[in-house]
Amino acid sequence: MKIIKDKVAKLSFVALLITITAAMFYTPTASAHGEKSKAAFMRMRTIHWFDLNWSKEEVAVNDTMTISGKFFVFSGWPETVDKPEISFLNIGIPGPVFIRAGSWIGGQLVPRSVSLELGETYEFKVLLKARRPGDWHVHTMLNVKGGGPIIGPGKWVTVTGSMSDFRNPVTTLTGETVDLESYNLSNVYFWHAFWYGLGLLWVVYWARKPMFVPRSIAVEAGKADTLISPVDKKVAMAFGAGVIAIVAISMGQSNEQYPVTTPLQAGLLRGIKSIEMPATSIAVKVEDATYRVPGRAMQMTLTITNNGDSPIRLGEFNTAGVRFLDSAVAQDETGYPDDLLAEEGLTVSDNSALAPGQTRTVQVTASDAAWEVYRLADLIYDPDSRFAGLLFFYDAAGNRQLITIDAPLIPTFI
Amino acid sequence: MSASQSAVRSRAEAVKVSRTFDWLILFTLFFVVLGGYHIHYMLTGGDWDFWTDWKDRRLWVTVAPIVSITFPAAVQACLWWRYRLPFGAVVCVLGLLLGEWINRYLNFWGWTYFPVNFCFPSNLVPGAILLDVVLLMSNSFVATAVVGGLTYGLIFYPGNWPIIAPLHVPVEYNGMMMTIADLQGYHYVRTGTPEYIRMVEKGTLRTFGKDVAPVSAFFSGFVSILIYFLWHFFGKWFASTKFVESV
Ligand SMILES: [Cu+2]
Repeated sequence: MKIIKDKVAKLSFVALLITITAAMFYTPTASAHGEKSKAAFMRMRTIHWFDLNWSKEEVAVNDTMTISGKFFVFSGWPETVDKPEISFLNIGIPGPVFIRAGSWIGGQLVPRSVSLELGETYEFKVLLKARRPGDWHVHTMLNVKGGGPIIGPGKWVTVTGSMSDFRNPVTTLTGETVDLESYNLSNVYFWHAFWYGLGLLWVVYWARKPMFVPRSIAVEAGKADTLISPVDKKVAMAFGAGVIAIVAISMGQSNEQYPVTTPLQAGLLRGIKSIEMPATSIAVKVEDATYRVPGRAMQMTLTITNNGDSPIRLGEFNTAGVRFLDSAVAQDETGYPDDLLAEEGLTVSDNSALAPGQTRTVQVTASDAAWEVYRLADLIYDPDSRFAGLLFFYDAAGNRQLITIDAPLIPTFI
Repeated sequence: MSASQSAVRSRAEAVKVSRTFDWLILFTLFFVVLGGYHIHYMLTGGDWDFWTDWKDRRLWVTVAPIVSITFPAAVQACLWWRYRLPFGAVVCVLGLLLGEWINRYLNFWGWTYFPVNFCFPSNLVPGAILLDVVLLMSNSFVATAVVGGLTYGLIFYPGNWPIIAPLHVPVEYNGMMMTIADLQGYHYVRTGTPEYIRMVEKGTLRTFGKDVAPVSAFFSGFVSILIYFLWHFFGKWFASTKFVESV
């Protein structure tokens, strides 16, 4: 008997461990720091984020900040990734450290999934309200059905204050203002405690009497029917009737208390407006492009033709959120994240103004540690070793033109 | 302690040992079922049970009873036919709910800070009590499957409605109408759960208009009957492999 008892005790302990493991098993995905592990071609050839602006670097609990900018849905979208016909403008933060108070694409609120088109540029804005203090990496993010999360650039934002001060008031269509942080919580606890208690009562009723060994002996002796007494049956009837009555009454009460309810709202939002990009008057041809592994530099030969009427210079090359600038032409004034900004990272063999009607072939070098840090160089190991990005040209008046490039990339190892 | 001291020498002692045994078995059963049932339910019911903005009147109502009648059916098969104990379903559901509450409170709220009013579990207790009551009254697993299974599916939505009704109050938000539950899903950012994977209000029951919840509940009840049969036999098979004796 002692041995058996020990065995059962041991088994119980194992079971308890299993339970704890199982309960600890699942936590909803909280981190968005997968940005570097996402295949380089995914980041270079799907969504190009630009003109990004994080309105604040420090924000107090209950205060808001916005992340705004544009994204270009790349025309040369890779075959291996589903097209963004069903996509969702998300935000890459570690769980609800901010709440998403609003998000818009082309001026349309997008709480639900949207349909986007290749080759179009969209303007977006996400309004965040700070909830939990800490330093958070805040990324732009677009989820594409069949393509997974496409994580854009991230910037560190500090939230100050205390989470216990956070309030999230919402006014319903029935005219009530409630705080979503705690709304309905006591009701949830009450009903769960109530039903759990009733369930326990049912178990306790049977557990008061001897359970396993004597009952098993009785069943084996063919006396199973004596184990359930008429009183037991009456109690069971009462439980059954009670459950049905409580469900019916509580349901009626909640219908009375909440006469206006609607089904959950879902469905794809179509007809999202893209922005008209001004017609470009510059033609760029990529003659060749190489990535020099030891130098962490990409070199391309571009033939640029200026078909416009003002002289232009190349100011920026942007790929996967990393910005390579020629500081003589373009500077960043938005506080773009340091690790993604190469202020002097762009070298052009001849970056004097290209006069209207002229064509010139130049060597352009984009070099920065970001190639390695953000594992963009891994591109050369992709099955379809192509790169893509945005070129920004400026005229003397500061007018900007955006040109997309997309070409094969050859690595050099010496 | 010598071996002879642990042997049962009197009736009183036998009763005492038997009671200790009762509690140990119940405790073990509770936690073993909790572990298995919890994992099973997370894998099959998953997001429908995690988030209020998945608790709709079509798919949640259909899925939750079907995937949750499994363990109760199996454990009932063991406890009733071996011991005439009519609490198999309730023990399972109480175990599941305890595991879920620990998980939601520690992980969803404590670790990731999702408000509890957004990620509480579904209430399965009313159906479980009725399932046990039907088994006791009928002493027939076919009747329990048919009457109990159907009831289990039917009672699920009304049993949860008092808890979720306040979350279905509509809100106008920046020019769009949504329910409070939708708004919770929008506000409390889930990077790993984009909106399009949300399976709600989908299906072919459009013709039933407003009364889709009862239709879904009936459908769920019918499938629950089949699942009950299936898992009843799992339970029987499991109980007959001398599992208990081998302990
Ligand atoms: Cu990050």
